[in-house]
Formats: sequence, structure tokens, C-alpha cells
Amino acid sequence: MSKNTLPQTNDLNFYEIRMESIGGLGANLAGKMLADAGMIGMGYNGAAFASYGSEKKGSPVKAYVRFGEPGTEVRINQAVDEPHMLVIFHETLIEWLPVTMGVRPNAKIVVNTSKTPEEMRKKLKLHGGTICCIDGIKISLEEKVKVNTIMLGAITEAAGFIDKNKVKKVIHDTFESKYPHLVEPNIKGFERGGSELVIEEFKPDNTFDFVPYDEKESRVGYASQPIGGVLPALGNNAAKNLSSNRVGLMPLWNEEKCKHCAQCDVVCPDICFVWKEETRDGKTNMFLKGIDYDFCKGCLKCISACPFGAIEQAVEADHDVSKITVQKYPELKKI
Amino acid sequence: MAIKPKAKQKTIVESGNELAAIAASQINYDVMGYFPITPSTQIAEYLDYLKAEGKHTVNMVPGDGEHGAAGICYGASVAGGRVLNATSANGLLYAMEQLPVQSGTRFPMVLNVVNRTVSGPLSIKCDHSDVMMTLNTGWIVLMAKDAQEVYDLNILALKIAENEKVLLPVIVSFDGFFVSHQVRKVNVFADNKDVQKFLGVKKPMYTAVDTKNPVSIGAYMNEPDFLNNRIQLQQAMENAKDVVDEVFNEYKELTGREYSKLLTYKTEDADIIIFAAGSVIPTYTEACDKLREQGHKIGVVGIMSLRPWPEKEIAETFKNAKVVVSLDRQDTYSTLGGNMSIELKATFNDNGIGAKVISRVYGLSGKPTPLNTALEIMQIGIDALDGKDVKRFDYFGGHAAEGGKLVEGLPPLTIEEQTSDITTEMGEDGKVKVSGVNLRKLMKKKERITPGHGACVGCGIFSTINQFLLGIEGHVVLLFHTGCGMVVTTGYPYTSFRSSYIHNLFQNGAATMSGVAEAFATLKKRGMIPEDEEITFIMVTGDGGNDIGMGPTIGAANRNHNMIILEYDNEGYMNTGNQLSYSTPLGHRTSTSNVGKAQQGKKFQHKDTAQIMAGCHMPYVFTASESFPMDTIKKAAKAQYYARNYGTVYGKMLSACPLNWRHEDSMGNKIVEAATNCNFFPLYEIERGITTITFDPEAKGKKGTVTDWLGMMGKTRHLTKPENKPIIEEAELEIARRWTRLKAMNDNPVL
Repeated sequence: MSKNTLPQTNDLNFYEIRMESIGGLGANLAGKMLADAGMIGMGYNGAAFASYGSEKKGSPVKAYVRFGEPGTEVRINQAVDEPHMLVIFHETLIEWLPVTMGVRPNAKIVVNTSKTPEEMRKKLKLHGGTICCIDGIKISLEEKVKVNTIMLGAITEAAGFIDKNKVKKVIHDTFESKYPHLVEPNIKGFERGGSELVIEEFKPDNTFDFVPYDEKESRVGYASQPIGGVLPALGNNAAKNLSSNRVGLMPLWNEEKCKHCAQCDVVCPDICFVWKEETRDGKTNMFLKGIDYDFCKGCLKCISACPFGAIEQAVEADHDVSKITVQKYPELKKI
Repeated sequence: MAIKPKAKQKTIVESGNELAAIAASQINYDVMGYFPITPSTQIAEYLDYLKAEGKHTVNMVPGDGEHGAAGICYGASVAGGRVLNATSANGLLYAMEQLPVQSGTRFPMVLNVVNRTVSGPLSIKCDHSDVMMTLNTGWIVLMAKDAQEVYDLNILALKIAENEKVLLPVIVSFDGFFVSHQVRKVNVFADNKDVQKFLGVKKPMYTAVDTKNPVSIGAYMNEPDFLNNRIQLQQAMENAKDVVDEVFNEYKELTGREYSKLLTYKTEDADIIIFAAGSVIPTYTEACDKLREQGHKIGVVGIMSLRPWPEKEIAETFKNAKVVVSLDRQDTYSTLGGNMSIELKATFNDNGIGAKVISRVYGLSGKPTPLNTALEIMQIGIDALDGKDVKRFDYFGGHAAEGGKLVEGLPPLTIEEQTSDITTEMGEDGKVKVSGVNLRKLMKKKERITPGHGACVGCGIFSTINQFLLGIEGHVVLLFHTGCGMVVTTGYPYTSFRSSYIHNLFQNGAATMSGVAEAFATLKKRGMIPEDEEITFIMVTGDGGNDIGMGPTIGAANRNHNMIILEYDNEGYMNTGNQLSYSTPLGHRTSTSNVGKAQQGKKFQHKDTAQIMAGCHMPYVFTASESFPMDTIKKAAKAQYYARNYGTVYGKMLSACPLNWRHEDSMGNKIVEAATNCNFFPLYEIERGITTITFDPEAKGKKGTVTDWLGMMGKTRHLTKPENKPIIEEAELEIARRWTRLKAMNDNPVL
């Protein structure tokens, strides 16, 4: 390969990619496949890794890839703070995390969305950069593949310097031995990820401010942590909002059909049904008041548990969740 | 490196853990005894995957805990086998008793220690608090700074260990996540035969299985014999200094890759030297280049061989240095340095080196060292050289947060908020009668576990535990073993618990809760706690915690404390990434019972924990699941009655794991129900020895087949293939046998 093919590099001579995703979407594997194509297929040096932690399905993860020209020694292990490319695997992350932090003003931003780049820029409040939108969910449903190979197609197309055929070979090799029937749909997903990418460049025009990289320190330190890691706070996890775990579907409660039998509550993993004691027609009993969507992760177990058809599956985009949610702990200040 | 390798190499892209497994696969060890612990687990996982693919024939034996795994390894090595293990942090500490046995009786093996913070508080991330504890065990300890070195040291270690002048076990240590999980471009032997040729055939000096030459291994020794044994060990460690160099040289010829016990970078004219171990070394060389550009005479020394300690090389390298910043990724407390600093200072003292040593404890629990941090650390050395006032010891990267406050939570629960109309009394038939269970009315009870936990979508743990807790009246104290349930509820500074909660590592929860219950009783007796105070003590474990913690669980049952042991069984070690547990059913796919052309899932039947506990003749044993809420709640009420009045209770609840069972998030309760309907997970209880089946699928017209159940999950899809029919039949036979036995017990109170 020819020299100096990386379109941009940082002070340490790396082109760096940060992927924002949630556990289960395969961002880490996508990073590894990309690294394989770049390092084995094309001869770059580099590294791929993920944010380190106890990752559960649905919780936010970050995956990183860095490429240097052949012979560039990789002497750092640090996360990618100022990426040349930002990849967003799951659109709702934008609402919950500062995904654009440190993203360079001339970066490529690849987003899994049905929105246009113009709409996406507003949602991201992006200072500047080239937004590349791909409707990964649609393609994923049509081709029956995971979103990660589609995103790989989009990344490859947006990056410009990555050899498509090398990535295709890695996809082929990854699936061939264990899941040969998945080779073709994944290759197709990869192709469509590239060909259906909608790209628009936005020059920094002061519509939105640049968001510098900033690592948050924890709220307590050695002068204020209760000793031994003991937590004198009770149930403060309830101050969190976990809505970003839902991937489009939600349970919708129909009060008219409800007999308040509590079959939904006893199978709910996320403790989101809200009850109140009331006296109706002279009888005092417990009544279901609704769902606290801050906690609902959208597993939909409650739907089949209900003997009366009082909970239905709904598409989240069709509803204003903030209007129908019922707070379980209205007294608690949210973070 | 311009040396042309004699043995053909190929370039691949893999992580440190995967490379340790690839090396092991190429070596084709005889036995790997292991127990999963993050971040080392992938080594066993990937080795098992390669085995399923037919790439090697290493006999992989899952231990009942790290202590057991170390025992398996010791046994396999005294039998003359080539043996491998991998562990981290508290797993290493749990195994540690066995380490001096392995070295003191002189049986070589290789142990990968993937560096992780020693709990508690629990942290899964990287520091050196684990590996530094091995320095006094008589093992050789080699530390890899990157993925390439992990691969190479895994081969080199075995060659060094088996050298007749050494015959010591070897630890290959590398930084968790930074090295273990980061994918890098590396070179490996293209042909396994070259690896095996390099290592040669193992010729053990003694084995326990040579019928022509039987030996006694492990006689006890008093003085003066023991001291002499240790002199031999010390001599072997001294011999290892040269052997390591010889083996490194031989390897260089073969691969073109050159190693030494001590890595030196621009040290020749350096006034300031950074002394470090592990993955930060390359970052310091990068920082070194930057500061050299500014004219600072600075260098870096990275240590690879912690044991044997390279005294000669250190004395030579540091002889002209003026300031040394010695970096410790752990502390020895109150000695002004971690092990690296203390040993460095001792070497300086013995060799008349006058350099000023400044120690910094850094990077605890995975706190990263980006380039800027490396530059800041180096600045400390520059300041010291300039004669500025620099603390000789400190922690780097701490954060005071004066006046910082935790996020506020909820007020404590009153007893009224945790009490309903449930009543329990002992019936004339010797069984407890429960009344007043009304699901709707129970909704008045406030949850002891609040929402906002980080479990996966559709996770069965909290529907299972909360259902059980609905049947428990009044105050509770909960103790969770390490596991998913613990990790997702209590990520500092947050908690999901509204009652008091304790975590302890997952072999010791039952013992810990015994202590809580006994102290509570004693303090009550002594008037320190009001006499009428009532607490129900509930120890919660996964099926994994009850593998490694089976001993303490049985111990608690035998001692019969007033407490409940509740096991959520999701058929695997889900928190560490779905490794097999002894409760994983036959043929099920996990990350250590892979499916491939040479292997079809787990090879042995599931453990019957409820019957093991029944064998302890405890007051109450039950099984339950969230698919039968009224049954669960009644059993909870009974459990509380028995725990209050008779002693220890054990209950097992089958709990779905959509992520690793591979099913739709909404299907958990249906699958658990199907497991009961096919008699795989029968619902029953044993009250003071009398067994009652509480749900008979056949009698209720709900009888399903094992295939109905297995067909609902991705992890068992391979079992529905015609070629795996024998596995299904074997499972069906065992399920039928256990069910028939249970029926007989139900029908006959004597059984």
C-alpha cells in the first residue's frame, strides 16, 4: 500500500475512531473486525478495545479503534478523547450521554438513524463536522442481521481510506466457519450500510458550541467518601433514568381493561409499576396507577402476564412518554 | 528488529487473553484447571472455543473455585502433565495457599495472572495488588507489557519452568483490560510444531503415576529439613536468572523477538529514570521522547522479571542516575512505597547507588495513564532534579472532593411499610400453613430493592427475588454474593437497596450471614439491641456463588443459623460472561462449553443443589420460580417461619437470563415455566424431612417435553438437531430418574 493514506492524524500519528453504543449491539466486535481489516488486510498498525467495565445488555459502551501508518509503534493505551470519527450505534444515547465530547470540528459522525443529516445536526448540537446517516435499524430488519455489520459498511464508506474488500473478507471469515448462512446477509448489510449512507458536511458556523473533552470526577472523594465504601444512602439508584435501554418498543397500560390483579407487577424485572391505596365504591384496595417509564427497559414481559389484555405493545415514537409516565418516587430528586 | 526468524511467523490481530489461549493451544497442554474470574476468564473461554473447533486436545477441567482449580493443577502436574491455569485478583488470593505447595514441592506449571485490583471494595479493573502478593511464594513471576509479550512469555515460561536447573512454576502476569482485552497486531508461530519443538517433550523428575518408580510426594518436614528445602528453592531461583537469559536468547534466534529481564530505554545518559511495570511502560517511553526533545536527560526502565529479581541488571542500569521515580500500582502501606519501590531501594542500598528514589502509587483500580499523566509523573522527577521540594512518597491522581455529597436516596422503610396480612402457623400434620396471601393487597408493601438497577433487559433476577420478598414480613437484612445481582444494584456511589445490605465475595456469603445472625442474637441477649427487634436475614447467591461457596453454604446449614439462603439459578456464571456452572444442564452452550465440530456443549449433568441441601437435614428446603407467584410467596412465608423458629432455610429459584440463554427479552417467565412443565425444574418443598411436590405438571394437564423447553432458547438450539438426539435422550433419562425419585419422596414421608 502507498504511504500516508490516513486522511488525518493526531499528535501521536493516529487516526482515531470512537464508537458509542449499548451492550448487545456488537460495537466491540465491529471495532475488532475493522482493526483486523486495517491491520492485517491493509498493513496499518493500531489497536482496538472497548470501555472497560461490567457490561450488561442495554448499558452504554464505548469501543475504540486507532490506526497508524505501518511502522508506527502503539505506545499508548488511552481512550479516544478526540476522535476523527464518531460512530453512534444507538440514537437515543444522544439524549443521555455527551457523545460529541471532544469530537474534532472536521470529524466524520456516523449515526444509525432514519433522520437526515440536517435533523441529526440539530439533535447532536454539533459544532461542525460531516454527518453520515444510515438507517441501520431498517436494513437490519430487512436483511435479518445485527446492526454492527451495517455500521461497518457505513464506517468504511465514511472513512474513505479503508478497503471495502478487506472488510468484506473479515466479515466472510468471521461468519463462515460457525454461521455460514449468515455470510451473505451480513455482506449485503455491509454493502447497504455503505451505499445508503446520506452524507452532509457542516462547517463550524457558531450555531452550536464546540464541546471539549472533559472527564467527570466523582462527586465524593477522599475528604468526603464515607469510610470503607459504605453507602448510607438508600435506594438512590431510583434517582436515575434508564429510558435509554428501551430500543423502540414499550408497554402501554389501558386502565379501562385493568382489574388490578398485579400479575404484571410480579414478573416485572424493573420494578416500574406504580400502585396506590384508594377507596372506590366504599371499598379500600390497591389500584395500579401506571408505569414509571424512567425505569422500564422495555422487556415487555408484562404484556403476556396480563390475563385481561390491559397492557399492549406500543411503538415509543408514537407516544409522548413524559405525558403518560407516572412517577414512583415523586419526592426523589432526579439526577 | 532486524533478526530474521528461523521459525516461520505469521501476523494476527488478537487481544492479550486470546493470545495466551493461542499459545496454550499451540503448546497443547495436557490439562488446564481453571475457575472463571474477570478479566482472566477469556483465556479459558477462548481455549474452550478452540477445542470445540478441534484445534487442540487440552483437557479442560472447571474447578469448583480457584482453590479447587489450583488443586486440579497441582494434581495434574504431580501426575507429570503439562499444566496451565489463569486467574486474577481475589481468585489468585483464594488459590494462594496452593502456590507455595506447587513451588516448594517443585512441580513446574504456568499460571496466567491477569492483573486486577484485589477487593474489597470490589473492583474488576487493573492494578498490581494481586500479582505483587505472589512475590513471596517461590514462583517465577514474569510480567508482559503488551499482547505480543503475553504470547511469547506464555511459551517462554514453560521452557523456563521445566529447565532442570529451575523446576519451578511460573506466573505470566499482564494488565487486566489494558493488555488482556486490547486487540493488537502481533506475530505468532505459523506452525504449532515449531512451538512444540522449542519446548521439547516434558521429562518430569518425579511423577505420582509411574508404577515402576512410585514416590511419596509431600512428606511433612521440620527443621532442619525444611530450611534445606528452601535453600534448594532459593538456588533454583538464582539459577533461573541465567536460564531466563538463555531461553530468551534461544527464542530470539527462533522468532527474531528479543527480550531481557529488564527493559531499558534511553537510560545511558539519563539523570532521571522512571521505573515501572506493565502496560504503562510504552506510554512512558512515548513521554520520554517528548521530554528528550525539550532537552531533559530522562529514561525509562520497565521490569519484566519480578522473580527472579534482576539485581545485577538494575545495579548496572541505575548506577549513574540521579533521580528515580518509582511507580507502584499497589501499596504495602506505611513503608512509603509498593513492592517495586521497596525492592528497588534495597538493591540501591546493597549496590551503593545514590539516586534519590521518589515513589508514587498510581493507577489503582484501572485509573488510566494517558500520555499527559505520564508527562506529569515525569515532571515530578524533573522537579526533584532541579532541587524543588518533592514528596518522596504519595498517591498520584487522588481526588479530595471536600464537602462532596452522595446523591440523596429514600427514607428508611418502616416496619408497617413491609408488613401485610400474611399469617403462618404450624399445622397438626407438621407442615406450616400460610394464609392471607392476596397478590393485589401485597402491592401495598414497599420494595426493599428499588428500581434503577442496571440489570439487562428482561433479567430474571429481580422479578424472582422481589416476588420472594413479597412473602417476607418486617425488616430484612440482605447479603448478596458477588454476581450480576450484586454488580447491577450497587455501583458506587449508588445502591438499589432500601434495607441494609452486605456484599461479600462469592465463596463466603453463607458464612458471613451466619456471623451477622449470630452477632445479632448475641447483641440482643446482651441488651445492645432491643429484645423485640426482629430481622430476617437473607443471603442471596447465584448458582455460581453456590458452586464456589457450596462448602460455606453446607456449613451454615449444618450449624443451623436463623437465616435464609436464596439461590437464583440462571444456569451459569453470567456476571463473568456465561461460563458453565455445575448447575448448567447437559449439552447447554456456555462460553466454556462451546459448540463446534469437536464438542456439543456441557459434558456433565446439572447439579441438584436442593437435594444436596436436603442432605443437610435442614428445617426447610424449597424450589420456586417467578412463573408461579402464589407458590413463591407462600414458600417465602414458610421460609421466614422456619428461619425464625427452626433454623436455616435453603431455596433455589430458576431465573431466566435472556442475554445468555439467548431468548426474547419478554420470554423469561415462559421458559422457566416450561422447565417446570417438563420436570427439569420440579417445584417442591421439604419441611423437616417431609417432601411435598407443590406443582405436578401431569396432574395439572400441563406436562411438556424437554424439547419444548430447549426449543425456546438459542443456547440449546444445537441440541434439537438430529445428530444430538443422544444428548437429549441422556438428559431426558436423568430428568425422569430425578422426577421419579422425587415422586416417591412425595408419596412416602419416610423418604
